[in-house]
Amino acid sequence: MTSRLAEQLRSMPSRRNPPYRPVQLLSDAEREELARKLGDASNYDLTLLRTLVAAAPENVELKKALVSGIVSAEFAGIDAFSRKVCEWQDWPVPWELILAMARQTWDEVRHAQLGVGLLESYGGHVGEYPDTLAGAPPSEASQAAARVAARGGEAAEEPMRDPLISLSVTNVALEGAALELFRGMSELGRRIGDRLMEHCYDYNWADEVTHTTIGDYWVKQLCEGKPEEEARALRAHAMFEAVRARLSGEQSEEIRRFFEEEMERGTTALSGPPTSEAG
Amino acid sequence: MAVRIVAEACINCGWCRRVCPTETIRYFTTGRRLHRVEPAGCIDCDRCVAVCPEHCIVPDPEYVHDPAELEAAKAKARAWAARQRARREALRRRAAQVLALASRRPLSEEVPHA
Repeated sequence: MTSRLAEQLRSMPSRRNPPYRPVQLLSDAEREELARKLGDASNYDLTLLRTLVAAAPENVELKKALVSGIVSAEFAGIDAFSRKVCEWQDWPVPWELILAMARQTWDEVRHAQLGVGLLESYGGHVGEYPDTLAGAPPSEASQAAARVAARGGEAAEEPMRDPLISLSVTNVALEGAALELFRGMSELGRRIGDRLMEHCYDYNWADEVTHTTIGDYWVKQLCEGKPEEEARALRAHAMFEAVRARLSGEQSEEIRRFFEEEMERGTTALSGPPTSEAG
Repeated sequence: MAVRIVAEACINCGWCRRVCPTETIRYFTTGRRLHRVEPAGCIDCDRCVAVCPEHCIVPDPEYVHDPAELEAAKAKARAWAARQRARREALRRRAAQVLALASRRPLSEEVPHA
């Protein structure tokens, strides 16, 4: 049973003023514009930009690009978590979980405000650089994780709407990984003497710890006494990290082993026990 | 000596696992949503302790390494460190190239920091 509001939301695209301009969908002219600003469109990469800002802290254009990429993800956060507040009311989850998502939406709004303030301090504005996450389909990692973890029913059709998968992938895996980004940004600010950057991302970092804690707490609650559900949450997390690792070229031995074991479990399950009809 | 994770306080952010130079912090293969240190691979470098946001990684003084297993773990850590250095160097080289090009053609117009 899906409420009318949730139904309506599904067909509503994400909107922002200025409108989203996903980096994956830029026109040739927009790519040229990006190349003019950063030397090459492929330089619009958060890891590279952090290194560039560290090497040339006086270059404001690089700072604007770096902060724009992160602010974009904060807008995506507002969109994603506010949708969960509405959509999860159709799932058999405690109301306290919905409230936790409402609180997190508010946190994402504050992060976006902080990021916009920082961006404006460099003379930049939202929309000047393309969006890294917002307005685009969920990342390849999130989608793949959700597909693998889904098992039957509505969850299989739209797995990221399943609270267990969504919490495991977004709150625990993604926000857990974001801790490194925010700590790195805060340290970068300290290193280059940019106190606003240092404090802005230190604040964000602390909130991400809370978000990861919220996610982990609720995954534990939803899995309590249900080993199959726990395995499903773990599988979603593993898939997310596997795809991320593939993109970064750093695959861990453990992830490799996990999927080998999964394959063995699948093979065993498919071969199944001998049936009485067989003889 | 090694370290261990206090499971009750751990939020499974995985930061410790990602910075471990010997990949001895397990999560996906523990069968549960629990981070656990395999002490045999721990070289007591404390990288995990430094990043843990919950401060829930503590010394495990009771664990005594076999010298051979400790040496194997250290060799793994050295290889990991070499890979990390190479990655950082590659990134710095690319950044230097971008900035060198930019010095010939400025990266957009400079705007004074407000």
